[in-house]
Amino acid sequence: MKKLLICTLLLFTTVFAQAQQVDKDLLKIKKRMDSVKQFSASLVLDLDVPFIQMPTKTAKITYTEGKKMMFTSKDFVMLPKRGLDFSLSEIFKYPFITVDRGTEKLNGRLLKVINIIPTTNQSDLALATLYMDTKAVRIVQSEVNTRKEGSYTLLMNYAQLKDILPSYVEATFAIERLKIPLNFMGKGTTIDRKKMRSMETKTGKIKMQIKNYNIKH
Amino acid sequence: MRLLLSAELLKLLKQSKTYYALGAILVIELLILITAYFQGSTILDLLLDNLKQSFYFEGSLLNGNLIMYIVLNSLWFNVPLILMIVTSGIVTDEYKDGTMQTVMLQAVHKWKFILAKYIIAVLFTLLVIGFMMLTTFILAYSLFGNGDLVVYLNTLNFFEANDAFHRICWAFASGAISMVFYCVASLTLSIFIKEAAKTWIAAALFLIITTLLLKVDFVIPALNRFFFPKLIDSWQQLFYYVPDWTQILINNAILILYTLAFAAVGTYVFHKKDIG
Repeated sequence: MKKLLICTLLLFTTVFAQAQQVDKDLLKIKKRMDSVKQFSASLVLDLDVPFIQMPTKTAKITYTEGKKMMFTSKDFVMLPKRGLDFSLSEIFKYPFITVDRGTEKLNGRLLKVINIIPTTNQSDLALATLYMDTKAVRIVQSEVNTRKEGSYTLLMNYAQLKDILPSYVEATFAIERLKIPLNFMGKGTTIDRKKMRSMETKTGKIKMQIKNYNIKH
Repeated sequence: MRLLLSAELLKLLKQSKTYYALGAILVIELLILITAYFQGSTILDLLLDNLKQSFYFEGSLLNGNLIMYIVLNSLWFNVPLILMIVTSGIVTDEYKDGTMQTVMLQAVHKWKFILAKYIIAVLFTLLVIGFMMLTTFILAYSLFGNGDLVVYLNTLNFFEANDAFHRICWAFASGAISMVFYCVASLTLSIFIKEAAKTWIAAALFLIITTLLLKVDFVIPALNRFFFPKLIDSWQQLFYYVPDWTQILINNAILILYTLAFAAVGTYVFHKKDIG
């Protein structure tokens, strides 16, 4: 009888633990994000990288569920490879578990912090930390470590409390120094080797203002 | 003076050397344009290689503006060489053909005569640069289209198409001042040397030395800033993200002063020299 009780308890604990592997608030956010079937918006991009000088650029983004995000621009624009995945499809692509890290106050808001740990090697994701606004059901900040594409941090601001999609995204990432072909260097250009070495890896930032959303649910 | 100028202009237009020079510039331009296209794609691949890891690129950087910038970098050695040969010929041909003595037998002021040659040399140079600018613009934009320009000058600078076009126009204007300087210098050399072949060698040497001195650090700041070899590539400063317009204007103004000084020395020497 005692053995049966222990076995039942063990089985119940395992089932309960599996059910708890993905955070409920994250699933709620995912469900809310999934309600967006299509959207288009205009982007205003500001690149902040120590060795790149670029004027403010504009572009248009179009998203359709299940398809890659499309960008169009009259000018030459550089868009971050990571950071525009609002649907969280990259995270949900492969199985993972979440670890509750408690709460943290960020800019006066109390946010729930969770870690996302993939359970398969297929995922490029190594570890992600998400800061969730559980009241507004949306992600405010994420720190993502990938296996192949380095680490990046995303900071999202929303225009209104009810908004699902952000009005401002700031992506911070590590960037390697430039390899400059000598024949492209201007005559006035000088090579400061010490400075070049100290610039091996730098932190870059791209600030995106997202306006004129046209969302279809 | 007007008659002297029209006579000099007629001589320049009548000599086949002028058209050979224009033809040579067009050939050089075409060759540079073709190599610039291949060079441009390699440069972009190398420049943007590590940025590709973090970014998607929308739009093309291999366009008319990049080609124009590469052309600008390549032209400023070949073109002055041709211009110096043609403009020095304005004086050396007169010595060779013996027409110098004939003209001097007329009631012509020596200083006015040589000044007319300087003015025509300057006009010819400006005409060639204008021709070069127009043909390169037509070829570059019609073949490669318009778009943003990327330049590496200590930082990777991106310019919007319109901004790039304006900077390239100003770069041609600044480059034209450098070309005028070279032409005036070669004309002055021809007054001293008189012989065509020797003048060409001296002019080529002058061009090579000036180009080499451009990179030399003279230790003395004033020399590094105001010595004429240091002012030759002021056009390059227009491709800094925030160009120092005052510095660019000062550099070009000083180069104009050098040009005037070279012309003044030439005129004075010619005026004092016996024709023979």
